[in-house]
Amino acid sequence: MAIDHKTHFAGKTVIEWEPGDPIPDPTTTIPRLSGNPYGNHPSWDEKFLEFLADLASQTVTGLVFGPLTESADDYGNKLVTILVEHRESIQHLTALFLGDMTFEESEISWISLGDVSPIFKTCPQLEHFGIRGCASSYSSGLHFGILQHEHLKTLIVETGSMDRSVIHDILRSHLPALEHLELWTGSENYEANCTVEDFAPLFTENLFPNLRYLGLRDSEIANDLAMAISQSPLLEQLRMLDLSLGWLDDTGAVALLNCPAVRKLEKLDLHYHYCSEEMVQRLQTLGIDVDTSERQEPDFDDGEEQRYVAVSE
Amino acid sequence: MWPSVNNNNVHFLLIGTPGDRRVTLFQEALTRLDLPPAQLISYQKLIAGGAALADLLTPTTVVRIESPGKSIETERLLLTLGAAEPDPEGECYERLSSSTLATLPYEKGRLLPSRQWYLGFSALMRRLAAQLPTAQTMNCPADILLMFDKRGCHALLDQHGIDVPAALPPIHSYDELMVSLRERDWSRVFLKLAHGSSATGTIAYRFSGNRHQAFTTVEVISHAGDFRLYNTRRIRKLESYQEIARVVNALCRQRVHVEQWLPKPTYAGQVFDLRVVVIGGQAMHTIARLSHSPMTNLHLLNRRGNLAAIRERIGPERWQAAQHTCERATNLFDSLYTGIDLLFSADYRHHAILEMNAFGDLLPGLLYHDQDTYTAEILSVLSILKEQKLCSSTHAR
Repeated sequence: MAIDHKTHFAGKTVIEWEPGDPIPDPTTTIPRLSGNPYGNHPSWDEKFLEFLADLASQTVTGLVFGPLTESADDYGNKLVTILVEHRESIQHLTALFLGDMTFEESEISWISLGDVSPIFKTCPQLEHFGIRGCASSYSSGLHFGILQHEHLKTLIVETGSMDRSVIHDILRSHLPALEHLELWTGSENYEANCTVEDFAPLFTENLFPNLRYLGLRDSEIANDLAMAISQSPLLEQLRMLDLSLGWLDDTGAVALLNCPAVRKLEKLDLHYHYCSEEMVQRLQTLGIDVDTSERQEPDFDDGEEQRYVAVSE
Repeated sequence: MWPSVNNNNVHFLLIGTPGDRRVTLFQEALTRLDLPPAQLISYQKLIAGGAALADLLTPTTVVRIESPGKSIETERLLLTLGAAEPDPEGECYERLSSSTLATLPYEKGRLLPSRQWYLGFSALMRRLAAQLPTAQTMNCPADILLMFDKRGCHALLDQHGIDVPAALPPIHSYDELMVSLRERDWSRVFLKLAHGSSATGTIAYRFSGNRHQAFTTVEVISHAGDFRLYNTRRIRKLESYQEIARVVNALCRQRVHVEQWLPKPTYAGQVFDLRVVVIGGQAMHTIARLSHSPMTNLHLLNRRGNLAAIRERIGPERWQAAQHTCERATNLFDSLYTGIDLLFSADYRHHAILEMNAFGDLLPGLLYHDQDTYTAEILSVLSILKEQKLCSSTHAR
């Protein structure tokens, strides 16, 4: 599956911005700033400075960052350094997405992230934060530290490889406003190492009282997660549960099917899954909006069953 | 119905391969327009010197040069013709002697020396041009040759300020490639046979730190102390630089063209580029070629995308600018039509021409204003004939 660029973020439309463009309407849009290192285009740094030089840029509420240069092997460090350097210009922002790249621009595992915690200090009003890239030791990992952030409503980590330390940090963070938590766990082939136990506090303690959307996506442990969440009181407060893009099969699906709280959801997103056709039919009788599209069949390699999460490399 | 065509005198002389799909489609288009079928001269006959073209020409003849197609015999004959041709760049590319060629067994997918093929094809096109000094032609031998030289064609477009991916100077090995890339701080390139067609003999290669990744249609098989190249329909992904180096080195024994691998835009979970056919100076038939891999060429089983939705996302101004670029590029040539591979940047804002294809009009069933490519080309010929503006094959660039 190829990830597309963000077309929407934080409830607004994402619009590519280039020098010469007017700053788009901040009430409905968020500018995307990406480098085009191919041909005679200004560098990303020049573009960013020019953006900030336009006084209207102070009215935007968020930014989406695409690629900076041809290679993403120092992406996170470079971007965080620049953002901190220009803190006066961006400290009012409430929405940031980093690493908005397709696989043609960079394999997700090649997008190095590192320590992004300074961003949360730089932007104390941040409400929506998302990041895409490598969150494991396959590259330089991803580090949030323990966040204390009163306003954060959305936290998204899109990765093909999640290190458990990221989960631990997030689940120890103080995020009382959190409504949307989306964590991709990815593939062991790229050093993902989380297990369902790493998520235990999420399922047993009332960490995020305002949580309405939970996405545990692109996961090799989707069945374990489905079973654990079926037992969790957390489900009662959710409107949407998203276990898409992973290895979910009938084992996990049946737990969801038998869980009364699932029937109270507005939406259950399971698209890209390994459930049987029969199970798909049963899921469709839940009486809620259930996305069971993109059913996958395992490959058989030397008699051994092979499954793939939708996004890993 | 088609516009009434009242050109009783016009007749077409077609150089191609009997039974080839392109020939059939062209003849069908003539029939639909109530025109007599084209007189077909096969490449084989032409190469054998058995066609006295000059005798066949009348003042109202229009010559169309088609692709030699997939004919194995024609490929052998062109390679044999090339065996006797000296290489103006010196003898640094793979060769097969005429005697080897005469006994070479056919192997599915095997890539035979493309530089030698090009030398043979060039000799034939020159011969053709000499035989058609004053003929009216739909496409010119000199144009066809330039479009079959990816390096030369890229340089021409670049000189005229048309957006193309940045290219490397000639390289002859993986080591030279890496030196060249490091000098420029590039980490991703497309390496293509300079004289290949479609995705034949291409490799898309990128690296980051000590990670390497390549997508290729080429397989290198060791054979009796040497190696042979094969084309695969299934795209192979390579992650060891030794294996990548082996493919690159093997391709470098042909003549290669290397350019930056521009990230393609994504639409509906797949990446795409566009094929734009320009006819009579106007961008017409256009398709989006969707792919799950960096190779979008249609014969690799990729599907056509929803052009209307893609156009909408690009926006009318940028779409027009891209069409204009294709038209400008075509105007650098004298031929009536070309098929252009056009790429938009990943953010849909910019565009570049990846390749120009002399025989890039094979898009069966695709209609533009109710006409397929062949019909549009014939009607364009007829309207231009009235103004006597078709190119002459000896036109010197």
